Amino acid sequence: MTHPTHQRTRRGRRATQLIGVLFAFTLIAAACASDDDDDAAATTAAAAATTAAAPATTEADPLEGTKVTVFGPESSDEEAGALRDALDHFAAQTGIEITYTGARDAADQINAQAAGGNPPDIFIFPQPGKLADFARDGHLIALPDDVIASMNEHWTPAWTAFGDVDGTQYGIPNKSDLKSLVWYKPALFESKGYGVPGTWDELKALSAEMIANGDTPFCIGIESGPATGWTFTDWVEDLMLRFHTPEDYDAWVAGDLAFSSDEVSGVFNEVLDLWNTPGMVFAAGGSIAATPFGDNGQPLVDNDCMMHRQASFYAAFIPEGTVFADGSADAVDTFYFPSVKGDKPVLGAGTLVGAFRDAPEVWEVMKFFGSSEYAEVRQRAQTERKGGGLSGFLSAATNQDPSVYQPLEQSFLSILQNADVVRFDGSDLMPAEVGAGTFWTEGTAVVNGDKNVAEATQAIDESWPR
Amino acid sequence: MTALWGAFAGVVIAVGASAAVFWVTHRLFGLVERRWAVVTATSGVLAGGAAGAVASGLRSGADSTPLLAGSQLVWIVGGAAVFGLAGAAVGLLRPPSAKRTSAMQSRLRALTFVGPAMLFVALGLIIPLLRTIYLSLFDKAGTGFRGLANYGDIFTNAQSLDLSGWAGIFGSQLFWGSVILFAFALAIALARGRRRGVAADFSASTVGIGIGGGLLLSFAVFANLRGTVMNNLWWVVAVTFLSTALGLLAAVIADRTKRESFAKSLIFLPMAISFVGAGIIWRFMYIARPPQKSQTGLLNAIWVWFGTLRPSTGGAWIAVAVLATATAMLTALCAFGVRRRQSALAIGSATAAIPLLWLIYRFIGPGVGGSILGPNGEPIAGTILFVQESPFNNVWLMVVLIWIQTGFAMVILSAAIKAVPSDLIEAARVDGADERQVFFGVTLPTIVPTITVVMTAMIVLVMKVFDIVRVMTNGNFGTQVIANEMWQRSFTEFNLGLGSALAVVLFLGVVPVMGLNIRRMQRGE
Repeated sequence: MTHPTHQRTRRGRRATQLIGVLFAFTLIAAACASDDDDDAAATTAAAAATTAAAPATTEADPLEGTKVTVFGPESSDEEAGALRDALDHFAAQTGIEITYTGARDAADQINAQAAGGNPPDIFIFPQPGKLADFARDGHLIALPDDVIASMNEHWTPAWTAFGDVDGTQYGIPNKSDLKSLVWYKPALFESKGYGVPGTWDELKALSAEMIANGDTPFCIGIESGPATGWTFTDWVEDLMLRFHTPEDYDAWVAGDLAFSSDEVSGVFNEVLDLWNTPGMVFAAGGSIAATPFGDNGQPLVDNDCMMHRQASFYAAFIPEGTVFADGSADAVDTFYFPSVKGDKPVLGAGTLVGAFRDAPEVWEVMKFFGSSEYAEVRQRAQTERKGGGLSGFLSAATNQDPSVYQPLEQSFLSILQNADVVRFDGSDLMPAEVGAGTFWTEGTAVVNGDKNVAEATQAIDESWPR
Repeated sequence: MTALWGAFAGVVIAVGASAAVFWVTHRLFGLVERRWAVVTATSGVLAGGAAGAVASGLRSGADSTPLLAGSQLVWIVGGAAVFGLAGAAVGLLRPPSAKRTSAMQSRLRALTFVGPAMLFVALGLIIPLLRTIYLSLFDKAGTGFRGLANYGDIFTNAQSLDLSGWAGIFGSQLFWGSVILFAFALAIALARGRRRGVAADFSASTVGIGIGGGLLLSFAVFANLRGTVMNNLWWVVAVTFLSTALGLLAAVIADRTKRESFAKSLIFLPMAISFVGAGIIWRFMYIARPPQKSQTGLLNAIWVWFGTLRPSTGGAWIAVAVLATATAMLTALCAFGVRRRQSALAIGSATAAIPLLWLIYRFIGPGVGGSILGPNGEPIAGTILFVQESPFNNVWLMVVLIWIQTGFAMVILSAAIKAVPSDLIEAARVDGADERQVFFGVTLPTIVPTITVVMTAMIVLVMKVFDIVRVMTNGNFGTQVIANEMWQRSFTEFNLGLGSALAVVLFLGVVPVMGLNIRRMQRGE
């Protein structure tokens, strides 16, 4: 038997403990909850401060204090940071509170967010195919006329077409990548007597010459986590544009030209024959399928390989301290991925913004995303964050101040703006089952030698949703 | 700071409201015995209010027009009034007997404690489960009814189930290895049986050899029958089995040694690493680099270094000398075993000597490890692409989970071994049992229930394997498993029907094992 008072005190102590635990929980919950809010509050305060400091702002802006959330795939310090800098710049002008959240797997997360009924106001779509899916499902809001007009001031029809879904404009381009590029070191080429190839056959002849000299022509790696295989699909797309007509390319992307057709499987074979040539590829991870695509910058700088076919954004993966196109011995430059028939088709990619909410402040931010001002501010911020050098950012918006870009980036822009034929990265236009699914996985399987081209292309065709 | 206080206030309000609800129900149930009609009337009011709220909230069609006319308030108050009166009427007109109310009261009291837990289980588990099953019967968008077609797709697709390689089973070395082991186990059992006058005597060691044969056989089967479903089964068999076996071995070896807790904490350490972290660590272990570069992956570095040991460089002779010494020691042990009539020792050391002899042959002859000689006699690294070479890349991925789970098995089995009553062991010793007989005759049979618990827990965990595969290969190179497939179908392609069907398949696979586990727990084993 316990003494009654004893019991009482013990019960009292228990109650105190219980309250203590509850209190601790409360504090933890409060601390967790406050994180984001503090950040947001800080940004808002900064924005408000800048607004106050700018006397030019018209008083009683109707959008003052409204909030817009933006979600997108760019998450690195440089990219997301520069994106936020650009948005802060706009926030200071208008008083709109803009919050950007970036996640590497944003393209996956947006599905769940939209289905769960809590999408962001604006999503930065890395793939037009995804934008079209969301538009057709009724999640996205068609652009109002004034937004379209603003977009048309800054973008050519070749680019705005990627945001057009069945005749209605849903997306605004806000970033462009040039994919038809080969990175190389001009001084090294010169010292070894190699010339920049002008055609596909010249490229193959050059590769053979390099192998004969004991050099390894290409650095290639297709590993990229959940997106493993996209480097392979880029090669296939670039060569599809070169070996066949743009119309064939469009038919292929639309699902009317099968992967197992002679045209497409022929290109598969062309890529694989080149890659599987003994001595052709330096794969830093032991095999092409095992090498992360980002690991090819170092061997290029170290002369382990002579060339690397990758998009304009690859500048961000080339080791820090590398100089670009300044004529010095270690400078890295690019040449245009040679064509087959003498035409100059360009494979591009980029991001598009789409709106989930119909509100004036959302449209203002959308307009800003599609403006040359956004491109300039972001480019400046990203160059600064990269500590000079190439920023990795590129925008094909017209009317930009060219001085924000370095000479090499300007040459990318002139390729993009002067190309007769521009086609968007095909896998980004295909349905997700193929473009972010079997084209990657089956492509990885053929590269790894687990399947042959006939098996892989047939499997991709079967997975195409019809 | 306002956000902090807001969150603080929110939590305080939530806790306060829960306490208030708890207090009210508690008091209400206190009235069951004395004022039955009050309880029925109050329950009626609450139920009616809720029903009214639900009814007024009903919407139909795409434009979500309310199904019923009238404002929400009217519906709630009206529902509460009608149901409350009905409850009061029932309570007053048909009062239950005192005995029944008292029983009811204690049951309701229990409900106040179990209720919230049940509510959360329903919200977080049961409702999502039912909805997943429902969705699995529909198409990609969750609108068109497909019946069981999603399940059909899973089991007819060559990606998920490909049995076409069955003939390869009989051509694999693993299969013939298993046949040899089975034959060996049977021969020993028959020999022992004849000595003891029975048909066959399966001692612990023969069972062990048989289990090893079974494992080899399963590897032969899974390496030839491919697909996502088969990969998952392979994971379950290999990881469950090897983790438990290695955990038991570690527990036995560490038991009663001097540095037991130190040794055990080393083995237990990987348990502290997340699956994603472990996946990344092991990717570095498995990395292969181009032949002209030095290897940074530990396993390939060792493998390639072995390859440089050749008779021409002298390295091989050192290796041979080491191996020969070890072989000589094993031979001595074997002779000792034969003299003492300890068959297990003799057979064990003879068996262990076989791979050493083979290694000696390889070192002198064709060489060991990953190097081939180039045209000028210089060694060229021949790396192993652990993660890319199907089908055994699956095994290299399993190693990661085995590495983690061995510690778990060891800790639990070690506790079980220590819990074996010492009087049992002493009795066996007094009867003249040696260390091996005590283990196989007393310790092992006593801890069999614990082994089953460990294995069932492990099966459930392994069946759901996801992180390691996602981080290391993302299902490429023939390593896809159901959970990762489910993720890709559901969230990358947003095919809700197929994704849900995969989730249900996984659930159905786990349920029987869980059921067994719960049954065992209820029996108090």
